[in-house]
Amino acid sequence: MQISLNWLKEFLDIRLFPKELVEKMNSIGLLVDHWEEKDGDVVLELETYANRPDTLGHLGVARELAASLGIPLKDRKFPLVESSENISDVFDVQVLEEDLCPRYSGMIVKDIEVGPSPSWLVDRIKAMGLSPVNNVVDITNYILFSTAQPIHAFDLNKLRGNKIIVRTARNGEELKVLGGEDVVLSQSMLVIADENTPVALAGIIGGEDTAVTEETKDVFIESACFDPISIRKTWKEIGIQTDASYRFERGTDISFPPEAASMTASLLTQIGGKALKGMIDIYPRPRKMKTVILRHHRVSELLGVDVDEGFIVDFLKRMEFRLEKQREGTWRVQVPYFRVDIEREADIIEEIARFYGYDKIPSHIPVLQGINLEVNKRKEIEDKVRDLLFHEGFDEVVNYSFMDTEQEKLFKTGLDAVEIRNPVSLKASLLRTTLIGGLLGNIAWNVNRGTEGVHVFETGNVFFKKDEKYFERYTLGFATTGQLGPVFWKREPEKSDFFHLKGTCEELMRYLKFEDFSFTVEENPFFEQNYSLCLNFKGEKIGFLGGLKRSIVNTYSIQEQVWAAEINLGSLLKKQPKPFKYSPVSRYPGIIRDISFIAGRGISYQEIKDCIEKLMIPYLEDYVLYDRFWGKEMAKDKVSLSFRFIFRHPERTLLAEEADGFQEKIIKALNTEFGLNLRGGGQD
Amino acid sequence: MVDLKNKIRALRSSFDEGLAQAGDKDSLKELRNTYLSRKKGRITLLLKELKNVSPTERPEVGKQVNEFKNYVAQKLEEYSKTLEEPRHIKFDMDLTLPGKRRYRGAPHPILLYKKRIEQIFLLMGFSIEDGPEIETDYYNFEALNFPPHHPARDDWDTLYLSDDLLLRTHTSPVQIRVMEKKKPPIRMINPGKVYRRETPDPTHIPMFYQVEGLVVDLGITFAHLKGTLECFLKALYNEKIKIRFRPSYFPFTEPSAEVDIGCTVCRGEDRQCRVCGGSGWIEILGAGMVDPQVLKNVNIDPEKYSGFAFGMGIDRTAMFSFRIPDLRNFYENDLRFIRQFS
Repeated sequence: MQISLNWLKEFLDIRLFPKELVEKMNSIGLLVDHWEEKDGDVVLELETYANRPDTLGHLGVARELAASLGIPLKDRKFPLVESSENISDVFDVQVLEEDLCPRYSGMIVKDIEVGPSPSWLVDRIKAMGLSPVNNVVDITNYILFSTAQPIHAFDLNKLRGNKIIVRTARNGEELKVLGGEDVVLSQSMLVIADENTPVALAGIIGGEDTAVTEETKDVFIESACFDPISIRKTWKEIGIQTDASYRFERGTDISFPPEAASMTASLLTQIGGKALKGMIDIYPRPRKMKTVILRHHRVSELLGVDVDEGFIVDFLKRMEFRLEKQREGTWRVQVPYFRVDIEREADIIEEIARFYGYDKIPSHIPVLQGINLEVNKRKEIEDKVRDLLFHEGFDEVVNYSFMDTEQEKLFKTGLDAVEIRNPVSLKASLLRTTLIGGLLGNIAWNVNRGTEGVHVFETGNVFFKKDEKYFERYTLGFATTGQLGPVFWKREPEKSDFFHLKGTCEELMRYLKFEDFSFTVEENPFFEQNYSLCLNFKGEKIGFLGGLKRSIVNTYSIQEQVWAAEINLGSLLKKQPKPFKYSPVSRYPGIIRDISFIAGRGISYQEIKDCIEKLMIPYLEDYVLYDRFWGKEMAKDKVSLSFRFIFRHPERTLLAEEADGFQEKIIKALNTEFGLNLRGGGQD
Repeated sequence: MVDLKNKIRALRSSFDEGLAQAGDKDSLKELRNTYLSRKKGRITLLLKELKNVSPTERPEVGKQVNEFKNYVAQKLEEYSKTLEEPRHIKFDMDLTLPGKRRYRGAPHPILLYKKRIEQIFLLMGFSIEDGPEIETDYYNFEALNFPPHHPARDDWDTLYLSDDLLLRTHTSPVQIRVMEKKKPPIRMINPGKVYRRETPDPTHIPMFYQVEGLVVDLGITFAHLKGTLECFLKALYNEKIKIRFRPSYFPFTEPSAEVDIGCTVCRGEDRQCRVCGGSGWIEILGAGMVDPQVLKNVNIDPEKYSGFAFGMGIDRTAMFSFRIPDLRNFYENDLRFIRQFS
């Protein structure tokens, strides 16, 4: 809402520099976004709050400033030039929907000459950022921006039957609104009708046919109060929001319509019209002022400062609250009608705080009461995952949680994607079912900008629907392509490959203390054939990894092979990591045996590993595959595998003969099971 | 016998003297021959004399001779090594060549910032809580005192999934979830993603991070809100940052406040400042005393307990802190940008 300083001065003697005024306003919660000097005026852009419709007019802002500065509002006079006719003799208003229109006031001004507005009015209208239309329309706008009470002026002679009926629309009724659009009405909408048809959508917009034009001579002034919810539902349904509906849906001052009507009439008589005597004011159930009990001790209990009783009483009175002391420290407070937001004690305490000054409330640190210090498991796993991936050379990214239908088709995740009903764009019409789409986007972006190797990860939710229910799954995704690590002059830079990806998975699972993981070969629509693994933990699939399909990677115009993995962290969160247990370090020497086998290429490492582990060799501390090659002088279908076995006894020196025995057992088992032979004379 | 012992002593000092004078390999060889030659070596001769010593004393003297022999052999060995090795090794590697480095990945700036915020609140004794990103209308709005047709809902442009389900527009629903689950005292934060129906531009994005905070206990006041947030902001920025609390409105707090920090770019002196828009202040936090209706909604007696809540946009704060001009930079994931935060 724009506020003009000159306009404020109609209500209040303000003698502050703009900067001081802005500071004052900010301190009481009237936030000035910015301000500028314009044509001898200062225009402030005020940020208004949904609960303070009273500040949607200059009067409301002036009231706040008056209370804050301790100066009175000016007493403004709105004299009328009256004709001898009585309004009740010539016009009738019927309100059929009292709930939706609790008050309806109207006046008639005749013999107006519609034309350009006087210069003072043009200035006001321009200060609001609007263009002047004609004196009648400008006057109704002036009253709205002045008092926050919307006014509508009808061309009296176009209202059939000399009457207004406030009723709901009938099915099938239509109204051509200002600007020419035809609106189809429904039964839930409140309309202003004449004898025959609707002439305005109540509180939102007037009809074209009864609008004031250059030819208009006599006008009917409507100044009413409408139900906020009904106004809101209607404008949302027809998609037209106006300055009037913006105020009505937030709530207007029910005591004010007659005054606003006569202010309007007064201004219209100033441009030559004559007001009919009297006013129509349909207000069948006058509302009482809201009352709230205020306890002095609650003020300090909530604000943490003792606010003087004198201040409270003075200030609330200045704000037009009525106070009645019930007993020491307790008042019965009546709330002025223009404050639609105040209903409870806390609301009044906020008023006290606002004007007392937030800056005068002291700062204290609360005394800490014991709370259960629970470790946040999700944060714990997130911290560890990030730590490990940074260590492995992956950069962290954050992508939007959205995807489009193209991506959904490309990545066959098997998950039913969640749709957004009102997406910003079609590109963001679904919630993502995988993180890999985003990661590929990141790789494409960075490769196109000349980054040699891109290794990125993201933790976040993927979303899906299942049996009409919606789920979010906390997930880690990472992808890698191109050069690994910084260039080093001594050797060719290493390039990323599948085993870089797999090694990261292995190291991650170990670091998270989920050491009982395993991999199984499993086809996956993301990956090339024979190029994907499933990561399992205790019999449950918790992730997958592999070399992404060329057809997918091509979609992102990426030339190089990309390897990617996705791990379900949500599922890991529910699992128990291996509890830490210290085991003593053996003081005795170990025996190392390096053994090389010739194996058929069809035998997988996993099979050999399973076979060795099944033997349960007692003092086999560790073993690693340290070399693997084929070709050279070997048969085509063979491969050489070199293992290093480390045997160690925890409590004594292991004997060479014992190690010999274990070694024999391994060699024999592998020979029997897979026909593995020792290579070239066996052990080194 | 005494003679033999004296002889050993005398031989040792003459050996030491000879060794000290030996300057090259030849003189060392000569010295070796003089003492250790199998035929005429002085020690060989000593050993031969042993047979003249009485059997009772022979073991002791024999031991002394052997020790002397070992001594001589060892000294000669040591000395010959020093003669063989060059005294100074010449390293000719160019040590100014670049070192071998391993690359450590860089954190995303928003998550880096999020962690910094978490650390401060952990130090202040807060717990960290989670909440879902898909929320119900009840948690996102109604329980937070937004009636169904309230215009305040327009301030939160919402992405809907169904009539009742939406993507949370703020982290505040976690306040409700935590208060339903736990009894006071409560002291928690919840950092997380939130969503708005916004077309991306330099200051608006459809997804961003917020951190929510909530303290509920006996006797919590607005002064506590001020103290806690001042303490937090000073830890996040610095001791000298200017902080301003001004009245505001949120349906779920009463009284409500907006917290601004003084613009560190123009210090309030540039009316054209791009960072603060010329006001000298940057809006950083929304806060307030938990509305009594919100407490009632979770069955906490507002006459007995009180609390304060606050919410802060992490992206916006990070944007200001790192002086990043465009929020969209955070979600382009350009590694040249991200790696600066390593």
